[in-house]
This record gives sequence, structure tokens and C-alpha cells, in this order.
Amino acid sequence: MARGFRTVRGRMLFWILAAALPIYAGALYMSYQETAARLETGAQRDADELAARLAAGLDAVIRPIQGGVLTVAYQLEEVSPPPAQYLQRIRGILEAWPDVYGSTIAAEVAGEGASSKPFAPYLYRHNGEIAYSDLATESYAYREQPWYRHPADTGRPVWSAPYFDAGGGETWMVTYSVPFYRKLPDARRIMAGVVTADLDLKWVQGASATATLGPIGMGWLSSPPATEPFVAPIGATASRIEQFDRSMNEKAIRAFGEEMLGRNETFRLLPRGLTAKPAYLAVRNLQTLGWRLMLVIPRSELLAEARVLLERQLLLGAIGLGILIAAIFLVAARVTRPIRALAEAVGRASEEDLDFRLPEASRRDEVGVLTEALRRMRDSLQTHIQLRAESLAEQARLTHELQIAASIQQSMLPQRSSAAHLPPAARVAAALLPAKQVGGDLYDYFARRDGTILFAIGDVSDKGIPAALFMARLSALLRVLGAEGELPDRLLAGINARLVDGNEACMFVTVGCGLLDLDTGRIQYASAGHEPPLLRELEGTVRPWVGEGGPAIGIEASGDYRLREGFIAPGDTLVLFTDGVTEAEAEDGSLFGIDRLSALLQEAPEGEPAMLVQRIVDTVAAHASGFHATDDLTVMAVCLSPSGVIARREANAAHWLIRPEISAAGVRQTQHWLHAILASREVALDRTGEVELIAEELLTNTIRAGGSQGRDLDLSVECALTPAEIVLTVRDDGPRFNPLEQRDPDLEADIADRSVGGLGVLIVKQLADACRYSHVDGRNVLEIRLRRAPGAT
Amino acid sequence: MSLKIAERSNPPTITLTGRLDTATAPQLDEVLNRVLARAGITRLVFDLSGLDYLSSAGIRCFVRARKAIEPGGGKVALINPQPAVQKVLDIVKAVPRGGIFKSIAELDEYLDAMQKQVRDPD
Repeated sequence: MARGFRTVRGRMLFWILAAALPIYAGALYMSYQETAARLETGAQRDADELAARLAAGLDAVIRPIQGGVLTVAYQLEEVSPPPAQYLQRIRGILEAWPDVYGSTIAAEVAGEGASSKPFAPYLYRHNGEIAYSDLATESYAYREQPWYRHPADTGRPVWSAPYFDAGGGETWMVTYSVPFYRKLPDARRIMAGVVTADLDLKWVQGASATATLGPIGMGWLSSPPATEPFVAPIGATASRIEQFDRSMNEKAIRAFGEEMLGRNETFRLLPRGLTAKPAYLAVRNLQTLGWRLMLVIPRSELLAEARVLLERQLLLGAIGLGILIAAIFLVAARVTRPIRALAEAVGRASEEDLDFRLPEASRRDEVGVLTEALRRMRDSLQTHIQLRAESLAEQARLTHELQIAASIQQSMLPQRSSAAHLPPAARVAAALLPAKQVGGDLYDYFARRDGTILFAIGDVSDKGIPAALFMARLSALLRVLGAEGELPDRLLAGINARLVDGNEACMFVTVGCGLLDLDTGRIQYASAGHEPPLLRELEGTVRPWVGEGGPAIGIEASGDYRLREGFIAPGDTLVLFTDGVTEAEAEDGSLFGIDRLSALLQEAPEGEPAMLVQRIVDTVAAHASGFHATDDLTVMAVCLSPSGVIARREANAAHWLIRPEISAAGVRQTQHWLHAILASREVALDRTGEVELIAEELLTNTIRAGGSQGRDLDLSVECALTPAEIVLTVRDDGPRFNPLEQRDPDLEADIADRSVGGLGVLIVKQLADACRYSHVDGRNVLEIRLRRAPGAT
Repeated sequence: MSLKIAERSNPPTITLTGRLDTATAPQLDEVLNRVLARAGITRLVFDLSGLDYLSSAGIRCFVRARKAIEPGGGKVALINPQPAVQKVLDIVKAVPRGGIFKSIAELDEYLDAMQKQVRDPD
């Protein structure tokens, strides 16, 4: 049912039946009730008719006898015959009415004019003859009998209650007693006696038994309530009781009937228990002698007709319902069949095949409207899907192009292998993570013909394809102009001049561009609005390398860029980056920021620039984890790592171990490194020059002294920087020689007159704050100490 | 940065710019070879205005020039050394105080005085 209820047919069936069945049931009920009421009325009417018939029958017998006895009493009063004539009159009564069993004229013995002795001749029928009996016996005392006393006391004719005349007629009887009086001369009337007629009730039984009872029911004619009422079954009562309920409590029923009469009720259902099956009781008072008619009518029989009618109506109703259901099915089928057909047609449709056939919309009803609507929907879907397929193809093409663009753009950047093509002293690593497939960030580095390394980082103002195209132009210009040998300031100005021209899109790019001299550690740097790079020194300190530069490229035609010059020491790393690093946003909205980057660089262990770059990328990615990068991210690290210098960090000092070539050029190169180290650590230029001088004098001396071993000399200069001091340590495995022990030249004599040896050592001693010689493991070790700032204590 | 050497005559002047050290001293030696070979040279001026760096190798060049000229009564003069260079010169006393001048004008003045002395010895 639950399944059926989901269909239109099921629901139609349910609701129509839900509406029709109560109406139908109500109609049936009302019809049944009405029929039942009509039948009950009919039964009452039948009871009335029966009562009338019975009353008429009784009256027909009783009235004449009543009249006869009254007449006799009247004659006795008027004529006042002598008692001897009483018999004759009694006989007259018996002869006149065969239903009279016996009759007497009992004389009054008390009072004036009364009979002198009891006198009550009684004639009665016996075996067809009229027999005589004298009631005036000692034992009987007729004047005390009710049939005598009652009329005598009331002075009115009286019908006795029925009684069974045992010992006499052996039959049920009623007695009609009429008093008669004697008129005295003074016109007084005195009681003279009572005339009676005993009416044998056999005829009542006969009349009752022959009465037509009607088709149903059973009943009795019964005398008014008395100790022993007379009851005469009517018609076929006896056999019907047999059929209906043999154990029926007739007495109780009649008692109930009397109660009903007391309440003026004539018809009602008998209480339970009086009959086995429900039955009505109809009671009537016949008036004649106060006799009652009581009819028991079994309800099933009374309402049999109603039930038959009900059954017929039920049958008809069932047929009607059957037809209704069939009609609903038919209508539902007619309504749903086209809908099903539509559903099937639409169900066959798929994304690949939208060309489903719809039923012809010949109908003009709702189904027709639906079909038409579906047709329109199908057509517009077909159009839509076709458009979508086209746009998908277009999108795929664009995606493909974008992939190609991305790979082209990637190819514009230095490849991983190009770092290997750099001179070994330059170690460069970079990473670029575009936010979209193509991006506006850029980095580049390459070795120029003069041996310097040009490196640049750029960030186009926009992202995506426009930025990528702009970046492509920048990349090309950087390569072409950069290779020509221009210094970064002129290079940026040249690029700016070309990019400003025709820059209708008003794009701009910030660029940081530097030139690293691998022999001297000198960096020449220019910035076009780009964030200053961070220098991570060997000691671990991190600081911005230069201040702000000129305007971003693409904005002003007369872009003026300043060249900033400085030095980095071997082991120092310059880190360039775009704002994709500093502005990487975490989930809580915090930016990665320059402070985090500085801290990261400070904590990073010494190592290859590639590791440093990877570390930065990883840390930024972790910071912005879960967030889609909104900006391109680029990092580039440039580290100076010349082959002749070993840079290392110790507790609070940086150490550079320089192994010079055993030649004048080697000495010069050593000076370059010392200059780079000291200049980058902001040691005063004078001091730097002095250190260079000391180095030259010592190395030159050592090389000259160790000349016998030639180029096999193992020579090194170590430069250590503490916060206060510069410590130079020169080691060589030449012949043991302590230059400090050399006698100072005689400075008083003009130099022109003396040998020119020992001048270098003299200079060294004079410039240094402390000198110490030792010979360790077969090596000469000369340690020179200088304060960082000359003159400071 | 390296050494640049420019020559002038009357008085014979060698202008040094850059660094005079072990590596560059041989260049100056070559020039000196040529200059000192000239007959009758009595004066040689080194203009040090542009000299940033001087090491003992350079000082030897100056000493060599003095040894070649001064025994014959000639004079080697250094003009306008920068402080760092002056410091080195002071340390090794490569040139007597009298041989170092602030400028060409001072040198000229000195030379004029010398000539007067020669012309009018008392």
C-alpha cells in the first residue's frame, strides 16, 4: 500500500474511497435506521390492531352477559320476587349465555327486610346438564366470599379477578357480581343480595388461540396483575416460543410489561437476560376488564426485512464501489499513461544523447502543457550542452596554451644546469613559484664576458598572462642589455626607457639588479623600487644590504637609478626575494614578513645557497599552509665562494683561510679578499689598506725567503675578525725563519746609504698592534694583531 | 685597480696613480730604467697625488732613483703623498724630510732657493 500510495493511481483511489466510503456507510446506516424505525412502527401498529381485535372479541362475549346479569339484578330490585323464583331467573341466565358456567343469586341475610336465613341457590353446568348446588352452607359462608363482599361493600357491579375453580368447574373463571337492593316503603334502598355469573374462561383461551398473531412474534392475553393471573397464549405463540427461546422467562417478561404500563410505555427492547436473543416487548391495556396484551417480538425477526434490505444495499454498494474503483483505475491510467510515457522518454535521455523523442503533444490538457515544456527544456538543454562543449574545448585549448606559455616562461629563467656554467666562485640558487600557471616574477643570472656575474630579480605589478608577457619583455631586455657590459644603474635605465615606451597597460615591475665581481667580492647594485636584499654574513648576522633605489620600471620615462657599491666577503650570501615571500599570508592573516625571513636566515646553518632557498620556500609554504598562494614567490641566493678561500664561522668570530698562489698575482688576490672581508665588515679604509700592506710585505718576504722550494711552498693567510680585532696569521712550511728577530735597519742613516732589506718587516711591526712568531709542526707561524679602528684603545 | 705611470719633462716628473706594490713595482722599474739611463739627469720628481697604496717594493723604486741621481748632486723629490702613503714613507724613512713636498709650487720654491745657494755660496 505504501508503495501504491506513491502512485497517482493509488492516491486517487485512496482519497476518492476515503470520501465515498463514509458517505456510503452513512447512507446505509440511515437507511437501515429508517427501515428499522418503520418496522418498529409497523410492529406497534400490528400490536394495536391485535389488541383491538382481542378487545372486540372479549367485549362481544362479555357485554351481553354483563347486560343480562344487570337486567336480572334490576328485575330483582323492581319486582322483588320471592326467593323461590330465584332459580328460574338463574336458569334463564344459564340458558341465555352458554359461556356462563354457573350463576347464583345470593340473598342478604342481615338488615331490614332481609331474608331470614342464608339463601344462595347456585346453578352450574355439569356434563351438559344444569346442576344445582346450594352455596348457603355452614362451611362456605358465601357472605364472606370476595365475590359477595366486594360488590356488597362498594354497591357497584364488579368483575372478579380470574381464578381457577378447583373442586367445582376445574376451569379458569371470572365472576361478574352485581348487587341488588330492595326498595322500602320509605323509599330507602337496602342491600338485598348479589347476582353473579361465573364466566368460564375457556372461550377466552379459545378466542386467544384463534386470534391471528401476524407473521412474527409471540404473545399472551393476560389478566390484570393478581396472585394467579390468567394467561392465554395468542395464536401460534407456543410453537414460536419453542423456536425462539424455550427457556424464556415468561413471568418476568410479563412483570416487565406491567412496569412498562406503569410508566405508560408501550414498546421497548427487553432488558438483557429475559430472552436469549434480543427482543422487543409491546404491551397494550385492552380496557375490557383491564386485560393486557403482551407481545414479544424477536428483534432479528422484526428487523429481518431491514437486514435483507441492508444486505441488498451492501451488495449494490459493493458493486457500485467496484465500478468506482474500475473507473478510477481507468481515469488514473488515462492520466498517468502519457506521464509515464514522458518519464520514460526523458529517462532515456543522457548527456550524450539528449535527442530523445517526446510523445506527440496532441493533447490540450496539463499533460500536453508538460510535454511542450519538456520539449522546450530539451531543446534549450541541447543548445546549452553544445555551448558548454564548445566552451570546454575552448577552455582546454586555453589551458594547453597556458601550459605551453608556462613552459616557455620557465625556459626564460636560468635552468638548474646554468648554475653549473657559472664560474665556481659564484654559487647561485633560485626558486620561482608562480601563483598561477604563468606569473609575473622573474629572476636571472649569468656570467658576463668580463667574468662578473649579473643577477636580477623582478616582480611585475600584476599576475597571470599580462604579467607574464611583461616579464618576457623584461627578461629579454635584461639578457640583451645585461650582456653588453652595462653597469646595473645604466642597465635599469635602459630597460626602463624601452618598457615605458608604449606601456599603455601601465604595468610596472620592480627590479633589483646586481653585478658581482668574483675576484674582489665587489657588488654593484641598483634597485628599481625593489625591496632591498638581505645579506647573510658568514658570522650569521643578517642585514638589509642597501637602501631604496629609483622608481619601479615602466612608470617614469626619466627613471634615474643610483649605483650602490659594496663588498661581500667569501662565505657571505646575498638573498634577493619578491613580496610573495614577505607577504605570504597565514590562515590567521599574519604575513610572513621581513622579520621572519631575517630570523630564518640567521638560524639557517651554513650551506649551499640551494639549501637556503629550499629552506625559505618550505618555511613560507608552511606559514601559508592551507592557503592558496595569491602572489608569485621568488627567492634567489647569491654566494661568493672563491676556490682559494675557506670561510668558516666560529663562536664569535669569522675565519677566512686564504691560500694564495705563489706569485705576485697571488699576493694581489689575497689583498683583494682581505679588502672584501674588511670593507664588507665596515673596517675603515685606512685600516684596510694597512692590512693589505702587512699582507703584501709578509707574503712577499715569505715567498722570497722560500724561493728555493719554488712553487711547492705551502702558504696560507688566515684572517679572523673578532669584534675588536683583526688577526692575520701567515703560515708557511719554508725554512724556519723569524722575521721579527731581524735587526731593524738603521733608520738614522739615509736609506740611500744602506741596504734595502728588512723594510717590509719594519712596516709590519710599525703598523701592527702585536706580532708574534712561533714555529709549529715545522711551519713558520706569524700572527699579527690590529685593532679594528686605529687609535682606539 | 693597478698602477698608472705618466711621464713629463722639465723637471722630469713621473706621476703615479693607483697602487705601487710588489706586483706593479716592476712597471715603475722599467720606466726608471729608461729615465735614469738618460745622461745628465739631476732631478726626478714623483707626483704621488694619485697614489693610493705603497708597499716596500715601491719604496725600493724610490730608493733606486735616489741612489742613481743623488750621488751626482741630483735630487729626487716626492710630491703630495696621501696620508696612507705618507705613513709608510715615515715608517721606513725612505726619503729625508727634505725630499717630500706638499706641491709642485713648494718644490719649485725649494729648487729656486737651492739654485740661489749654488749661485751665491755666501
